[in-house]
Amino acid sequence: MAAAQRHRQYPALWALPALCLVLAFTVYPVAHTLWTSLHQVMILLPGEPFVGLANYRAVVTGPFFLTALLNSLWFTLFSAPLIVLLGLGVAHLLLARFKGRFLVRAVVILPWALPGAISAVLWLWIFHPSWGILNLLLYEAGLIDGYIPWLTDPSLVRLCVVVAHVWTQLPFAAVLFMAALVAIDPELYEAARIDGAGAWQRFRHVTLPQIKAMLVVLLVYSTLVAFTSYDLTYAMTGGGPGTATTLLSFQIWKESFSMYNFGNGAAVGFITVLISLGFIFAILRALPSDLFGED
Amino acid sequence: MIGKALFTASAVAFAAALAGLQADDAHAQDVTLEFVVWNYSLETIQDNVAKFEAENPGIKVNVTDYTWPDYHDTMVLRLRGNTQTDVIYGGQDWLPSWASAGWLVPLEEYFPEVTKYEEKTTNYALKDMTYNGQLYGLSYYADIISFVYNKKILDEHGIEVPQTWDDVLAASLKLKEAGMEKPIVYEYDQELPNFYDAFVAQVYGRGGDMFDADLNPLFNDPESEAFKQLQWLQDAFTKHQIVASEPHETTIIRAMNTGKHAFTVVFNYVLAAMNNPADQPLAGEFAMAPMPGEAHATLGFAKFYAMTAQAAEDPARRDAAWKFIEYMGGGDYKVAERWAVEKGLGFAALPLFDDPDVQQAWSTWIDMDAFKDQATRAKNGTWTEWTGIWSAYFRPLLAQAMVGEASVQEVMDAGAAKWLEYRQLLRGN
Repeated sequence: MAAAQRHRQYPALWALPALCLVLAFTVYPVAHTLWTSLHQVMILLPGEPFVGLANYRAVVTGPFFLTALLNSLWFTLFSAPLIVLLGLGVAHLLLARFKGRFLVRAVVILPWALPGAISAVLWLWIFHPSWGILNLLLYEAGLIDGYIPWLTDPSLVRLCVVVAHVWTQLPFAAVLFMAALVAIDPELYEAARIDGAGAWQRFRHVTLPQIKAMLVVLLVYSTLVAFTSYDLTYAMTGGGPGTATTLLSFQIWKESFSMYNFGNGAAVGFITVLISLGFIFAILRALPSDLFGED
Repeated sequence: MIGKALFTASAVAFAAALAGLQADDAHAQDVTLEFVVWNYSLETIQDNVAKFEAENPGIKVNVTDYTWPDYHDTMVLRLRGNTQTDVIYGGQDWLPSWASAGWLVPLEEYFPEVTKYEEKTTNYALKDMTYNGQLYGLSYYADIISFVYNKKILDEHGIEVPQTWDDVLAASLKLKEAGMEKPIVYEYDQELPNFYDAFVAQVYGRGGDMFDADLNPLFNDPESEAFKQLQWLQDAFTKHQIVASEPHETTIIRAMNTGKHAFTVVFNYVLAAMNNPADQPLAGEFAMAPMPGEAHATLGFAKFYAMTAQAAEDPARRDAAWKFIEYMGGGDYKVAERWAVEKGLGFAALPLFDDPDVQQAWSTWIDMDAFKDQATRAKNGTWTEWTGIWSAYFRPLLAQAMVGEASVQEVMDAGAAKWLEYRQLLRGN
């Protein structure tokens, strides 16, 4: 009996180091953010009095929150599905047998390895309105009469940052999809062929069920990365022109470090956490898989 | 016996003195200063630091640099996080808030001799380095914001140097009609503190101001010069479409040197880079003109070496930091002279106005009389404990209004309301 009790304790003991890390690096920061968001924490003012939901009210009714929220949603809703869809397509292409495929695979992964700020500089050189290579190519090809203000037109710049973000995240999605695709038993395809399934049917009834867990993981991951994206967009546009590319993550920074109001910054941060959780639940409901023990 | 006692006493005294010397030596050897800068001309900064270290063998200086757009926010993080930081580049717009937060110390509190530099410093720079009547720094550089134009383009099109913003518009429309798509190029990045400063300079040019003497906002009055100037900018961007935007002064330099633009508003030292024949194809074509408007005034400002409260707490670091600050921003002004000669940075040190090396270097890229005239019309900004944070709030609004994403009235009203909110919060009135 005592031995059985000891055995029952083992899982808890083994999990303890990991739990400590989770407590230190996830639970504590989130709890501290929640605490800060409910207090007036402003560098220039003494004390940190409890203010209830005043910080939330201040940021939500301020001139920047709604814009930042809509920008973040727009950015996420466009880029996350694109990353997943294009990643799947690229993975299929990279699995094809062709000469030099190993070199191509190495090159394709490169954008993911680059820091966001460097990718931003690369894309600046492409999209820059005055001396960007894209305008030059379009102009030389006779497709445009004057240079297009890619980064200074509020509508165009949103498109540009999505393109740059998708470019940086695509390789990771492609590599994970490649791993999932090669793990599929070739006999399943063979059986489907014998049953007369065409290419689409094979994809629909063989490939998709086999990679569904990976698809959900990537969709959740891409959504969270996009929704909390900071470095690439900031380095490309600084949140502008105006507030056209100001994202929620950027607003957290601005409230905290530019306006010295950590209470407001924490409130935006906590709202971001809640929306992120909403995204995760929505994706898991829309695409049930056995990933988290669901059917 | 007396001789033995004397010998013993002498030996003890000698040993004590030696120990003291060694302690002093060890003490001096131990001092490492953390000097934090924005990365303008980092190689020059490092060379200046190396020269200081060579002249002061007990002191080592580590240089940490951040980009200009990131500098302010990163410094807030660094100072709030108590990361070791001894000497920093300070800015006129941040001084009141950083000093009131207790991050910076007045130099004269520990080193009263610093006041000897006051009489050698231009008035507007001195004001920018002073908070609550105490001097917080010695100047790194002091400059003005200038209206810059391309002489050759204006000559070719028979256009007079614009005197008012209406003139700028008329000249731009004429150039546009002649095929120049965007005659004005504007440093447009809401993250840059100077995005606000440049706007203030334009308001000063018109003879207006942002605030009255009691720190009430003036800019939300549609009859104010600030309101008119923002409306002018919005029209220029959206209605007339004569403005191209660039995110940084370095790209402004490049853009002006494409010959596709005729006008810009930038820190004055940028003109030196624009006119540098070593790397700019149109060098020599650019000149400054008085800031357009009835008053032709502009914004003058100072950036300076400041000591942190952390450094001041430790006597060894404090003394070393003072030595370093005096070397970089005082003494015989050789460092300031170097910046002026090599980079065209403006200066706060009055003796440098008569320095032949400075005069000769500057004559290659600017009309010194025009500069002096503009410098004498320069005014300080309104810097309070909350100006820095308010500017961070207001700049995106300004940016929105310029590109037509918000109306001028909305933006000015929101800016005024926030200003009053901060004033109430921090001054109680």
